[in-house]
Amino acid sequence: MRVIFFLSLFLALTAGCSEAPHEESVLRQDYASLENLARGTEVRWHMWGGSAQINQWVDTYVAGEMKRLHDINVVRVPMDAPVFVNKLLTEKAASKNTGTMDLLWINGENFKNSMQAGVLFGPFTDRLPNFTAWYDPQKSAHDFGFPVNGFEAPYGQAQFVFEYDTQRTPVPPATLAELADWIRANPGRFTYPQPPDFTGSAFLRQIFYATTGGHEQYMVGFNPDLYAKNAPLTFAWLGELKPYLWQEGRTYPKNAAALDTLFARGEIDMAMSYHPAHAQMKILEKTYPDTAKTFVLAEGAIFNTHFTAIPFNAPNKAGAMVLANFLMSPEAQLSKFKPENWGDLPALEIGKLDEAQRQAFEAVDLGAATLGADALSAAAVPEIASEYLELLERDWDTIILGH
Amino acid sequence: MKRGIIHGLLPLLLPYCALFCAGLALTLAQSLGLFLPLGSGEVSIEHYQTLIQDQGIRQSLGLSLSVAFFSATGSVLGGTVLALALWRMPPSLRRVGVVSKVGLILPHVAVAFLVLLLLSRTGLVASVLFQTGIISSPEEFPSILHTGSGLGMILAFLLKGVPFALLLIGAVLFGFDIRLIQTARMLGAGPLRTFRSVTLPRLLPAMHSAFIILFLYAFGSFDIPFVLGESHPGMLSIRVFDIFFQRDLSQRPQAMAILTLMFVFAALFAMLYNRFAAYLDGWRRKL
Repeated sequence: MRVIFFLSLFLALTAGCSEAPHEESVLRQDYASLENLARGTEVRWHMWGGSAQINQWVDTYVAGEMKRLHDINVVRVPMDAPVFVNKLLTEKAASKNTGTMDLLWINGENFKNSMQAGVLFGPFTDRLPNFTAWYDPQKSAHDFGFPVNGFEAPYGQAQFVFEYDTQRTPVPPATLAELADWIRANPGRFTYPQPPDFTGSAFLRQIFYATTGGHEQYMVGFNPDLYAKNAPLTFAWLGELKPYLWQEGRTYPKNAAALDTLFARGEIDMAMSYHPAHAQMKILEKTYPDTAKTFVLAEGAIFNTHFTAIPFNAPNKAGAMVLANFLMSPEAQLSKFKPENWGDLPALEIGKLDEAQRQAFEAVDLGAATLGADALSAAAVPEIASEYLELLERDWDTIILGH
Repeated sequence: MKRGIIHGLLPLLLPYCALFCAGLALTLAQSLGLFLPLGSGEVSIEHYQTLIQDQGIRQSLGLSLSVAFFSATGSVLGGTVLALALWRMPPSLRRVGVVSKVGLILPHVAVAFLVLLLLSRTGLVASVLFQTGIISSPEEFPSILHTGSGLGMILAFLLKGVPFALLLIGAVLFGFDIRLIQTARMLGAGPLRTFRSVTLPRLLPAMHSAFIILFLYAFGSFDIPFVLGESHPGMLSIRVFDIFFQRDLSQRPQAMAILTLMFVFAALFAMLYNRFAAYLDGWRRKL
């Protein structure tokens, strides 16, 4: 493991440097000439590869349409975001100006890290016609509290939900207090993935909002004093319930997939996901029982937007912009929204669409296990600045795990 | 002679050393705050100080050391006993030893998943016990994999380590001149005395090598801890991965500092262990 890592580091360090052609000119051209420039090229899209269904959608629908509309070959490269961010940092350090990645699926602290290290290309979203036509720039102006400034293009939304099985739990908890009671009444049947896992970390923020009086106070940027004042409430809540968790809270599932497995096997009675249609997907996969359902707490359910971005050294920036633009189109958003394809929430403004398109979106049925759009949007609360996230994860390690 | 070997290996050694040393140098530099994607670019040892003061890291070190020690010791002892048992068998039965190859062939990750499938609370063993009515609910099955002691990892390392030690020690045993033992017996040594003064001294070098290799592998390995490790304290290798890939970039030097210390420890351990073994050997010969 270590050796491979060093090898790749060293290779990256010793790799040659070269000049990137038409670097600036890409941002000066109008979209039509970008399309022409991109015709017949290959776009390598690096994205998280942990879901067979999402991979399938990219390989069939996205690749097929891009070929048909623009004669572009889309190559999907499965890679975790922290890994490609690392790769970019290494390439930047070695001044490698022609990389291998054209488009990235990125958000949250990975975006923040990339921006701080200056490894992204942009601003480019204002050059994309679909963005100006269908999107609300205000809604995607921040990614986990970090200003986007046109360096990433929104292409989907996700929201945090709890999953349960009506057979085992007829009535799910409705509020944070009821959730605590439920956990106490069912010792060993609840757990959450170990932060910094994405889902586990989201659960932590969910509890942070709910135990400290809501999200509004955190929306004005990072405030260390506020955190110091409020965080103890969160950790008191978690610490008090720790003995009632799976394995008495001594150990936690490593990631969301491990949590799903425990829930599917019946070792725990509640799971969670940052993807509202995830439970439905698992039912269709036959891993969850048909009686699985989802719920959100009255205190709110965090939502976030996920984005695509272009590395500073992308060899095919024009192609990457055409693909990012296509992913934002109403057709692609609708296809992605259908649960049999993915079930990912659309990022565009449905209100800006014409009547026929709007009806098509409204006709999408996300399945019995998924909450309706009204229930989800009623509970929706925005994400928090990553500084809070990092502190929560760090303190969870020392306060909850360390005792 | 020795020079000839080195000359012959040079084409291989050079790139290997270059890569290895470059990686090591970069790790050391980043642990001191140099060549970082973010940061002031000034040399500092604060990351080492943070590490030394961190309770969690100390606990992780303890776990890594104890898992490595128990799995290596168990593997060497188990391998030795099995090798001796095989050696005593009539040659026609020795083919049984092929079974041990299974553990050698399976990758570490596969062995880790085997242990997970068998011993988790919803695993095969628990299911069988539950179906046969020996336990009335899966909760009654002892929580072997999540005791916080690294027991699951030790079991997996043993499954890989015992066949490995058997291979090394068996190789020595099967090349053993049986007349040495016959001579000892003729001179009136009992079976125990024969083992202590004739067999064991010839096995010890192989046992020491097996111990060092297994100990250092388990100490730094990633695959088995990744599958079977627990949240707390967590092995050092998992902590490095966690800091490197899942935390803020500003924490990266800490990961590099842990790696540097692990490397230094491994090098020191191998050196000291060899000295210790040689000293023991000399001391035994004096008796």
